[in-house]
Amino acid sequence: MLAPLPSAQWNDATAAHLLNRAGFGGSPRDIHNLRLMGPDRAVSWLVDYERIPDDTPPPDWTQNISATELTQRDAIYKMADADTRRELQRMRGNQENKQIADLRYWWMRRMSLGPRPFQEKMTLFWHGHFATSFEKVRSPYFLWLQNETLRQNATGNFLTLLISMAEDPAMLDYLDGERSNKGKPNENFAREVMELFTLGEGNYTEQDIQQLARAFTGWGLSKDRLHYEYHLSNHDTGPKTIFGQTGNFTGEEALQLITQQPACAPFLVSKIWRYFVQDQPPAAVVKQLSTEFVAHGLDLGWLMGRIFRSQEFYAPEVVRSQIKSPVQWIISASHQLEAPLPTEAMTLVMLLQLGQELFQPPNVKGWDGGVAWITTNSLLDRYNFAAALVEGQRVPLPALTGQMQGFANSIHNDGLLQTGPAPVAQLFTPDQVAAPDPFLNALQARFLNGSLNPLRLASMREFVQTRVPLQEPDIRKAIRLLMSTPEYQLT
Amino acid sequence: MQPPLFTTRRDFLRTTLLGGALGWTVPSFVANTFSALHASADGALTQFATGKDGPILILLQLAGGNDGLNAVVPYTNDFYYNARPTLGVKPTDVLKLNDTLGLNPSLAGFKSLYDAGRLAVVNGVGYPNPNRSHFRSTEIWQTASDEDRYLTDGWIGRYFDNACAGCDPTVGINIGDRLPQSFSSHNPTGISLQNPASYRFMGAGLNDDEETAYRSMYGDAPGGASGSGDSVSMLSGTITLNNGQSALDFLERTSMDAQVSSDKIRDIAGKVKNMVKYPGSGLANNLQLVARLIAGGLPTRVFYVSQGGYDTHTNQRGSQDARLKELGDAVKAFTDDLTAMGEFQRVTMMTFSEFGRRVTENGSRGTDHGAAAPMFIIGGDKVKNGLVGTEPSLDPKDLLDGDIKFGTDFRSVYATLLQDWLKTPSVPILGRQFDTLPLIGTPA
Repeated sequence: MLAPLPSAQWNDATAAHLLNRAGFGGSPRDIHNLRLMGPDRAVSWLVDYERIPDDTPPPDWTQNISATELTQRDAIYKMADADTRRELQRMRGNQENKQIADLRYWWMRRMSLGPRPFQEKMTLFWHGHFATSFEKVRSPYFLWLQNETLRQNATGNFLTLLISMAEDPAMLDYLDGERSNKGKPNENFAREVMELFTLGEGNYTEQDIQQLARAFTGWGLSKDRLHYEYHLSNHDTGPKTIFGQTGNFTGEEALQLITQQPACAPFLVSKIWRYFVQDQPPAAVVKQLSTEFVAHGLDLGWLMGRIFRSQEFYAPEVVRSQIKSPVQWIISASHQLEAPLPTEAMTLVMLLQLGQELFQPPNVKGWDGGVAWITTNSLLDRYNFAAALVEGQRVPLPALTGQMQGFANSIHNDGLLQTGPAPVAQLFTPDQVAAPDPFLNALQARFLNGSLNPLRLASMREFVQTRVPLQEPDIRKAIRLLMSTPEYQLT
Repeated sequence: MQPPLFTTRRDFLRTTLLGGALGWTVPSFVANTFSALHASADGALTQFATGKDGPILILLQLAGGNDGLNAVVPYTNDFYYNARPTLGVKPTDVLKLNDTLGLNPSLAGFKSLYDAGRLAVVNGVGYPNPNRSHFRSTEIWQTASDEDRYLTDGWIGRYFDNACAGCDPTVGINIGDRLPQSFSSHNPTGISLQNPASYRFMGAGLNDDEETAYRSMYGDAPGGASGSGDSVSMLSGTITLNNGQSALDFLERTSMDAQVSSDKIRDIAGKVKNMVKYPGSGLANNLQLVARLIAGGLPTRVFYVSQGGYDTHTNQRGSQDARLKELGDAVKAFTDDLTAMGEFQRVTMMTFSEFGRRVTENGSRGTDHGAAAPMFIIGGDKVKNGLVGTEPSLDPKDLLDGDIKFGTDFRSVYATLLQDWLKTPSVPILGRQFDTLPLIGTPA
């Protein structure tokens, strides 16, 4: 079990699979370069990314945050004149919407163009795991800070990551940690940290939640509300009984107790396996990996390397069996087209329509993923967005009301909802566009890392054979048609 | 040439099977012509399993755990005011329903419906051994399971399986971007919809050869050319979300449903207009669309809409009151619209939430997850308005760990709506017989 992949099985298909799951896919050249490294070095290149320098700059507006900006909200409420207050609130709201749009697109570009695809993919996983939403946390600055904290701790020690999230300003706001005090502890974070972040339902009692809530009191923000600060006066220092153990546990000690629970490692391993490998993690694999994970002190980088090197990761039933998330769909398409990401406006509308607004998961459980991405509506949207990416069709702006109007206002820089048709002729050689079979082989290899079902392929062949040698407009149509298939939604 | 209008999946299959030689190798323009020729024969071939004038059920989810006590306020109850020094709704503010219960003043829309005999409040609804996790409790409500059982298919999904095998995919419509678990079933049925204008495959516009090619890719069921029997059984076969069936099968199925339903929906949503002005909220927008789809004559039996924001752990009076106002105003406009369209009498709406909230407020001027809470039923003359179920006791000795004990099992409400409104046996859907409530009957 979990033996390394035999080198005879390392080829374009397995290399593509690794790049698709550990990153966001790539062009045939990207896949070829990864293949040349061999299975072991390829995994190292992806997972042990510290060796690769990454000097991506943060968004401008995060760098000169002053206390006055962040206390603006309080200042607004103190305004006596209702009209001025309303106007200031409106301006503040607009600024928040602009910044969050900028942040979302900044991260999409980083995932797409950054030098460490796996670090970004793992950060995206943790973002869904430690879900926090702009809908409640109205500070793009805090959400950026959380994003960087996740990035820095993505493949380190899990307890370190957990503590960093418990003391994260955005999380303290989202799950009411900063509003919990020793007189009346707020149970929200205590419940969700165990139910969703570490143990899963059924592995703690209501009593544990209440006691844990007491241990977590005292976490808060600095007076200027710029960073985390501990307030001993707010902390309940008395003895708590958690998981049958009694002591004057601080919040950090309580988190350590949680990670020492037998349910913790299997919970994390299962969730990671479901995200990166397959929906139903085999029980024996989870058991084995959990034991090893604990023995390695909950070292996440070690765990991911172990998973990506295993035969199980490359099993035929695993390859091309996962439905692409909206983020994956957009970024892998741009790699396959060897084209830049669509405009900010297009990207954000697509993510909204397909159900994955960054920094705004639907609830504290994050995004369910898998078949949850697919409804009749979202599937038609994917087929139509393909036309936008490839043929230059306009992305329609969704009907918006209330808070969503802010989204419309945020599409400011290049409110462009369409780009020109993609230059796709350069993706194929003259031989490939001259006859149906060479073209269809190249098309499937590039866009599917696999093949269409025979009946659909026959339909494509019929479309193509009257049009060879293919001119660019017909190449675009063929690509768009292929992107409008069930097979294309898989990775 | 008119684009083909396929009305049901079965109809779609029947059309292509009749042209048995129509395999994948036939040029698409021929297939299109064939389909177009059969479009006019659609009327004769179409068999709507449920009919387009039958009763409609609308499920309105209040997501997050709606605090029942501040929605339906026991304004003469000292226990209530003692437990909620800052959150308690003042007796002078409530919209009185009787001499002990009143609605939160934000629910003026509901009060208006109550006074018009169109609203019933079922009090104290919950289930044994209440679960206080959003996700687990929502799952319990969506699958109608006991709290110690784990079902994956939803109660409406089971209704579709039982009452209309081979139904039109539009028999269930979810307005939103995620299919609710209540629709989940062995034969996934139901579509998700947000913007009718873009609910279709849009060709590049210069000519329609791309759209033609797209249709030809779906011109037959997967595996269809080999044998007509095979293709029918594959599509109506067991495609579950959870039992190891592949994601690809799910994608194939959804793609087909999208294809079949999109022509129809676009047609209707474009032609039909609302007859009243709605308020400007997301919920109102969604109900506006539902009203047009109803008036447009789709064979839909169940609509699902969701309103979020009820997880009021902090500053509840600010947030819950705003949500309730949106709710009351949107539903009032919706009922007025349906009335003006002449459709209100065949529509019944049910609100539900995964749990109520704790009786005692917390230290952040909010409430934490609780248990039993009221449900609202809105409907026409056949729905008996008024208060149903016992008002729960708030005496601390009568509470369950600080939470309200349920008096009515939510599955009783489901059973009532299934049996008395949708006219379908509830036992195959809910697993056993639950006592029904005196909610639906002939008008007095």
